[in-house]
Amino acid sequence: MRSTMAVNTKLISLLFLLATVSSVFSSSFSDSDSDSDLINELVSLRSNSESGVIHLDDHGISKFLTSASTPRPYSILVFFDATQLHSKNELRLQELRREFGIVSASFLANNNNNGSNRNKLFFCEIEFSQAQSSFQLFGVNALPHIRLVSPLISNLRDESGQMDQSDYSRLAESMAEFVEQRTKLTVGPIQRPPLLSKPQIGIIVALIVISTPFIIKRILKGETLIHDRRLWLSGAIFVYFFSVAGTMHNIIRKMPMFIQDRNDPNKLVFFYQGSGMQLGAEGFAVGFLYTVVGLLLAFVTNVLVRVKNLNAQRLIMLLALFVSFWAVKKVVYLDNWKTGYGIHPYWPSSWR
Amino acid sequence: MAALESPQPGTTSAMRHAFGNVLSVLILVLIGVLAFSIRLFSVIKYESVIHEFDPYFNYRVTQFLSKNGIYEFWNWFDDRTWYPLGRVIGGTVYPGLTLTAGTIWWVLNSINIPLSVETVCVFTAPVFSAFASWATYLLTKEVKGSGAGLAAAALLAMVPSYISRSVAGSYDNEAVAIFALIYTFYLYIKTLNTGSLFYATLNAIAYFYMVCSWGGYTFIINLIPMHVLLCIVTGRYSPRLYIAYAPLVVLGTLLAALVPVVGFNAVLTSEHFASFLVFIIIHVVALVYYIKGILSPKMFKVAVTLVVSIGLVVCFLVVAILVALVASSPTGGWSGRSLSLLDPTYASKYIPIIASVSEHQPPTWPSYFMDINVLAFLVPAGIIACFSPLSDASSFVVLYIVMSVYFSGVMVRLMLVLAPAACIMSGIALSQAFDVFTGSIKYQLGGSSNSTDDAEDTSTSNAPKDDASASKTDKGEEIVKERSSKKGKKKEREPADKPSVKSKIKKKALVLPLEASIVALLLLIMLGAFYVIHCVWAAAEAYSAPSIVLTSQSRDGLHVFDDFRESYAWLSHNTDVDDKVASWWDYGYQTTAMANRTVIVDNNTWNNTHIATVGTAMSSPEKAAWEIFNSLDVKYVLVVFGGLIGYPSDDINKFLWMVRIGGGVFPHIKEADYLRDGQYRIDSEATPTMLNCLMYKLSYYRFVETDGKAYDRVRRTEIGKKNFKLTHFEEVFTSHHWMVRIYKLKPARNRIRGRSKKKTSSGSKSSKSAKKNPWV
Repeated sequence: MRSTMAVNTKLISLLFLLATVSSVFSSSFSDSDSDSDLINELVSLRSNSESGVIHLDDHGISKFLTSASTPRPYSILVFFDATQLHSKNELRLQELRREFGIVSASFLANNNNNGSNRNKLFFCEIEFSQAQSSFQLFGVNALPHIRLVSPLISNLRDESGQMDQSDYSRLAESMAEFVEQRTKLTVGPIQRPPLLSKPQIGIIVALIVISTPFIIKRILKGETLIHDRRLWLSGAIFVYFFSVAGTMHNIIRKMPMFIQDRNDPNKLVFFYQGSGMQLGAEGFAVGFLYTVVGLLLAFVTNVLVRVKNLNAQRLIMLLALFVSFWAVKKVVYLDNWKTGYGIHPYWPSSWR
Repeated sequence: MAALESPQPGTTSAMRHAFGNVLSVLILVLIGVLAFSIRLFSVIKYESVIHEFDPYFNYRVTQFLSKNGIYEFWNWFDDRTWYPLGRVIGGTVYPGLTLTAGTIWWVLNSINIPLSVETVCVFTAPVFSAFASWATYLLTKEVKGSGAGLAAAALLAMVPSYISRSVAGSYDNEAVAIFALIYTFYLYIKTLNTGSLFYATLNAIAYFYMVCSWGGYTFIINLIPMHVLLCIVTGRYSPRLYIAYAPLVVLGTLLAALVPVVGFNAVLTSEHFASFLVFIIIHVVALVYYIKGILSPKMFKVAVTLVVSIGLVVCFLVVAILVALVASSPTGGWSGRSLSLLDPTYASKYIPIIASVSEHQPPTWPSYFMDINVLAFLVPAGIIACFSPLSDASSFVVLYIVMSVYFSGVMVRLMLVLAPAACIMSGIALSQAFDVFTGSIKYQLGGSSNSTDDAEDTSTSNAPKDDASASKTDKGEEIVKERSSKKGKKKEREPADKPSVKSKIKKKALVLPLEASIVALLLLIMLGAFYVIHCVWAAAEAYSAPSIVLTSQSRDGLHVFDDFRESYAWLSHNTDVDDKVASWWDYGYQTTAMANRTVIVDNNTWNNTHIATVGTAMSSPEKAAWEIFNSLDVKYVLVVFGGLIGYPSDDINKFLWMVRIGGGVFPHIKEADYLRDGQYRIDSEATPTMLNCLMYKLSYYRFVETDGKAYDRVRRTEIGKKNFKLTHFEEVFTSHHWMVRIYKLKPARNRIRGRSKKKTSSGSKSSKSAKKNPWV
């Protein structure tokens, strides 16, 4: 799951040494003036950035974290991002980054009146390609990674501020809890941007209000799409197919359509043995077999009986019977193969 | 079905009906016997014993009820569980099952049939599944005639999904609830077909029984409004619909509020709001129809704008109020389980205690084949049959199958709600197919000489709906019917019946080729036979194990593992009556019911923190665990261990959930500490945290003495740490096959010196431990 990045150990140790030296060095010369300068700079950076997440690079990290004296007057929550990994969906980097922005925006909005708290915590992000040495400085070699650098921490490799997987499992809400727990600042209720902006909602409501009388009129007359039985019928059949295919299982468990064979990478596995799990294609295949038999039966009993030509009837019916028989047989075979159950009848003992 | 396959050509139709009715009753009796007896495998193969976990609680409640009477039961505060909190039983259980079994026991005893409470409890479920199949007959008969009804009842009598919850001994809410569910639906459709207030009242009472029995009643109170809405939207509103719905909402909600566990939830939670919304809509619509009836078409057009605008205003107001109410409650007024039905990924993200239960997992396709078997093939045909022609009743069963099949896709336990719908649909499909095929065969074997006569005959037998023709209405007939519905049921039948029969006669006889029909019939019979074989197998092998007594078949014969009862008996004989026993929540109900000892947590998982405390104790090292348990007054700790005989659902396999649930409340328990590279293992590669936690130690203490190698048969590996001593616990009992191990907490005396030393030495550490362990 986790992707590791190349780590240049030599460079790390050098940087690490440099960082410690510089932090020790600078701490002795720190004063409150430079603190407020840093804060002012951060505030201006924040006001320029979208949702208050400051984009830092190596230079920024050294300026605000490594070279600033401890205790720093602020905490920094760093989100480690890597554009090159955005394509890997299982890392959920973009989603987490979005949630991170929401936490930041909520923090700012909820602490609007409280200037001192507002400037005690800054949300930052660093991007791998622009700040590789900072990644090494933090000792980050796996993503997703979110780290809180509290005022007292001088050694950036100290992982005590790391946000666990459980802390962002519930996205913005749990991130906010983490922040509140660690910094004793209040993030407050998460303010997600509404799905639709206010004018859009207004337009939609207006459209609905205007169109309701017309819709009701048509309903009373009985000539809308919803009066079409074929629509309902196909909808019902589709939901049935969708469910017996185990699609919900595939969505909840995020199952792929097929996987690669472990022994032979060129071969694809479409059917997974073992009843607790199924692959996407497998589900749809069996769902299709489940559905097709019933549809053929219904076709024969409802449509075919009305056909006048006896030979056509005979041919189609035998074909339908054959397909149904094959489908049932196939499902029974697949089920026995997948679950390993030995279903057997019970004969009276005298018959044996 | 059989009744309709063999109509005697010579006799009059009255005779045929009488014969058919007698045969139907006979078949229904046989179906009842089948439903009852197929569920007896558990008694025959094992013994007459209550199964699993929850049934033990229900059994204990029933015992209490039969001993102390209903008022005591209503006010029962149980101090034997959730120590030190206790639990108000009367107000937190669905009393339907208990009251039913208690009543049966009382009636039997008062007519001098001295059955024990346990026997009554064991056989409640099979009896009610016979009732359920009769209810299915009634329901399907209302929809598509008695032929389909009989087929559906026979299918339901042995559908594996339902068997899994209603074998003898499985004394759980679902046992009576499925009957109540089907019966409520039947009465709703009956009311819909007849427009009779009598059935509407019965319907509300049946709904009340359902509310008493099972939390699944919310399915009814959402499905029926949905159907009503569907009828209104598709222009099928009728006074019958109003009579079927309005009394149900008013009476049903009032009655539901009488059940303590539901109470004001019946009007306050979002699960019920849909019914109120539809209640308002149906009144608006009824008003529109009423005005339409008394005004001329021209006047109506003027009026409709007025009424529609007023109605819209009212609707918007109510919607606004509902939205405000919903928004004001934290989860939007929805309970976690309902939410995870709407958003299937909800539970897995947010509520580990719901996600941890195996019956809340989404099913894969083999689950459908296991649980409804060949019905899965027949349902689509049934759906199509319901659309030709579409009536109010058949649209309801279509809606029922669609909703239940979707919900079953989210949670495997809801397969139980799907099963009756699948049986009804398959019954309809089978009956239709048999009608067509046998009709074709009979028509062609009868020869061409009396073809006109036979054509008429087949056309009537093609339509087994004659008996319940009220349900079989084309659009044109409906208008006739609505007018006549005021005059009463009997008269209404005739005008509805005549046009349909006439139109059928006019048509050409609908037949299929003879030999193909015979082949199709044979294949259908084979399909049915396969279903029977599968169901009997499932009932005998898959679902009959009581899980309190285990057996295994090996070369040298049958082995019986009765360790659970052995150890519960040990507890009840060798410990003080007020001793507290800690175990994982799975065994809470059994301990209280069989050992009669107080437990800390049980299967009613109402307090997550309490469960997390026990989870934390199990995942902590010995000393910390001792402190937690001691602070809860625990005397004994019970663990279930399957490593010796290969019993897979033991505590070591459930342990990760204990860690997860514990860690959810006490963050110092981290799942990662128990995993080596993301893998859960107990061999030499296991993490030190894992090897030192209480659960590991209690499970594997002295395990090496059994075979010298300490080979765990479930995990198929040698354990990581073999020789160790316990410091804070002592072993007091290990059952015959080591499945249950009971430990006693060592008295605190031994530790006084160590503790006093520590107090002086570490001031900073004590604050840390206070944070870790909330109970000290």
